[in-house]
Amino acid sequence: MDFWLSYATLASIYVLLGLSTNLLVGIAGIFSVSQAAVFGVGAYIVSYLLMNEVTSFLPAMLVAAVFCVLLNVLVTLPALRVSGDYFVVTSFGIQLLATAIFTNWTFGTGGANGLPGIPPADLFGKTLDSTTQMVELCVGAMILGCLAFWLIMRAPFGRLLRAIREDELAVAAAGKNVLRAKVSAAAMAGAFAGSAGGLYATFLSFIDPSSFDLDASILLLTMVVVGGARTLAGSIIGPFLLLALPQVLSLIDIPTTIAAAARQLIYGVLLIAFMLFRPQGLAGEKL
Amino acid sequence: MLALQLLCNGLATGCALGVVAVTFSLVYSTTKLFHVAHAGVFTLGGYLAWSMTTRGTPFIVALVVAVAVCAATGALIQAWLYARLERRHATHLVILIASLGTLAVMQNIIAAIYSPNILQFSLSWASEVVAGGGSVRLTVIQVLIVVASLAAYGGLMWFAHRTILGKQMRAVASNPFLAEITRLRPRRVHVYVMAIASAVVSVPGVLVPVDLGLQPYNGVTPLLTATIAMIAGGVGSVTGAFVLAVAIAELQNLSLLVIPGEWSIGITFFIFVIFMLFRPTGLFAAVR
Amino acid sequence: MSDYLSATGLEVSFGGLRALQDCSFTVERGRITCLVGPNGAGKTTIFNVITGFLRPDAGTVSFQGTPLDGMKPQAIVAAGIARTFQNLRLFVDLTALDNVVVALPSQTGEEPLAAIFRPLHVARAQTRHREEAMQILQHVGLAARAGEFVRNLSYGEQKLLTVARGLATGAELLLLDEPASGLSASALDQIMDLLRRLQTEGKTLLVVEHNTRVVQQIADEVLFLHQGHLMARGTPEQIISDPALAEIYFGGVI
Repeated sequence: MDFWLSYATLASIYVLLGLSTNLLVGIAGIFSVSQAAVFGVGAYIVSYLLMNEVTSFLPAMLVAAVFCVLLNVLVTLPALRVSGDYFVVTSFGIQLLATAIFTNWTFGTGGANGLPGIPPADLFGKTLDSTTQMVELCVGAMILGCLAFWLIMRAPFGRLLRAIREDELAVAAAGKNVLRAKVSAAAMAGAFAGSAGGLYATFLSFIDPSSFDLDASILLLTMVVVGGARTLAGSIIGPFLLLALPQVLSLIDIPTTIAAAARQLIYGVLLIAFMLFRPQGLAGEKL
Repeated sequence: MLALQLLCNGLATGCALGVVAVTFSLVYSTTKLFHVAHAGVFTLGGYLAWSMTTRGTPFIVALVVAVAVCAATGALIQAWLYARLERRHATHLVILIASLGTLAVMQNIIAAIYSPNILQFSLSWASEVVAGGGSVRLTVIQVLIVVASLAAYGGLMWFAHRTILGKQMRAVASNPFLAEITRLRPRRVHVYVMAIASAVVSVPGVLVPVDLGLQPYNGVTPLLTATIAMIAGGVGSVTGAFVLAVAIAELQNLSLLVIPGEWSIGITFFIFVIFMLFRPTGLFAAVR
Repeated sequence: MSDYLSATGLEVSFGGLRALQDCSFTVERGRITCLVGPNGAGKTTIFNVITGFLRPDAGTVSFQGTPLDGMKPQAIVAAGIARTFQNLRLFVDLTALDNVVVALPSQTGEEPLAAIFRPLHVARAQTRHREEAMQILQHVGLAARAGEFVRNLSYGEQKLLTVARGLATGAELLLLDEPASGLSASALDQIMDLLRRLQTEGKTLLVVEHNTRVVQQIADEVLFLHQGHLMARGTPEQIISDPALAEIYFGGVI
């Protein structure tokens, strides 16, 4: 397949994930290393529904989005009620548990071997089986996602979230429900991640647990950190840059056995370096 | 009989986890940082010892060197990274992300050097059977893990309550502001705390892989279990964290009778959810 | 007649320290009541209890006859009580106007779904809210500074802004924590003038204040708090002329 088309499609999907992570980490200020798990849940749900011909593509996407919203609300609500640090534990736990389920629940997820043969997406009765059509679908979804993010951030909800980032106590004193706003942000993040999962599965027609593990979550976090928190530009720049990284690495002669480790090592270095020297990322606001 | 064997295994794992939980809790209560990279220090100890023993270094020497290097690593993480971020009034979230980055760096340097595959120590004495025989065996290394972990726990308690530095640590933990104005120099105390916690956690970090093998990404699950033990035991209660770590490990091992091992993370997380729902302050919550 | 705001038998302790001990008092509608007392007397603790930030160990607060027990801060604001903080707690990275807009109650578009699916409706509502906030800023004398980021405002302007934010919630009872401390003489006059105007507009004010001159000029009634207990109440003249209270206040009782 044409490299640039494939890159544009994947980057579009990861922009949706970047928006999702930005809502949760950048805007609601919740540390999360389980975004890839939610992404995976969306991917597996859509795959299941399409492979078993339960529904067509759009209803499947809707089911995935709703399920991921519920999942995120269920996960964040108890953790936010108690203490922010507990969410770190919840988040690691959800991610490891999800990986265990994706890998070991062979009946539902195909286990470590993954799910091959996921049918292509369809829109209004028309199957999108060419690459160009798929690119158009994903880029279209990205534009819709960016539009939604932009609308959210310029609405009172966005202002409320910015105020919460500054001073939760003062927001409560101004008569606003801080918990509800944060859970709403987490819910939106779930919808974005779930939809991205559905697009990812239908685009690649094959998924396996390695796309949705802890390392993938760290990649998503790195995208937001590099791009910049709380801005639309940041959520777009981060994914486009970091998805190009493996290509750049392939130009350097690194043994394939350590390629994955080298990539993750760079993510780690980027996380530390940006926190130390540029906490606002390339085009964002200060975390 | 199988249950008895599982109980023995659980005791060894549990004591090791207890040390992870207690050291994590020490860092958490003193510096208020959720030190995710602790998992990396834990892993680092094992690999250092492995490198040395496979080159013929006596085990005890390898252990001591690994402990020393881990202590230095912990101190460096505090002095170069956390302290620097705190001086810039970085938010909690920023420090947490930096800590996660540190963990990723440590794990992946290890993976790049030693490959991501599982490595085994070749120490014949370690798997000799001390007690039992037949279907229930307790190996030398398991006994060593239990003894060393209990000693580490006891030593840490003694240190915190009986030495001047320990008392300073506890003072800094309970009131950093007061400690600052009484010139206890919390920043320096934080470095000591990280060094001590890292040194102590590297003991099970070396011993457990002798029994179960090494993998670069194997630190995360123990850390998660340990933090759950800390929360379930009640943040601030060192004994609570240790006891809960042993209890969770025993439960995990006994669950193997009915549930395959790959789901044990589910058991751990289930315990956490139960605590979050019904007793979020933990079993032995410190009286305020 | 039931009291406007009444606190009965409040007890609060932090570890061994008893911040409030059997503390009872009432505040009457439409008046400016000043809460005075030496440092550590429990004045801010009372604010925290009334506004739901702190749950008392015992005792109850009721507002217009309804007990506020166990209510969340946002519910208490909705019931009509708003507060300011001694350390201001403004949103320094937002503009003065946005600091006020944030506090306006029940805005369209505070929910993400409304923000996405009814953008035009939200935009219209926002225009209205901005005008509303502008009027409040005008009222406190900050209209000219509306577009300025809070960190660029002077300390006096920031204090006025905290009052504006309290007003934006629509509350009729305002709890002001040291609105006049650290101000220059002219800023002091400005804020005292504002407080009196608010009173004539029907607001009730409960004010923590150290400056006796301010207390004398604005207070209808003074509550004197000592060691977490209401020691005396009366007109400013009565309280200030009482030598025993002056001894406590200025005599350095620890």
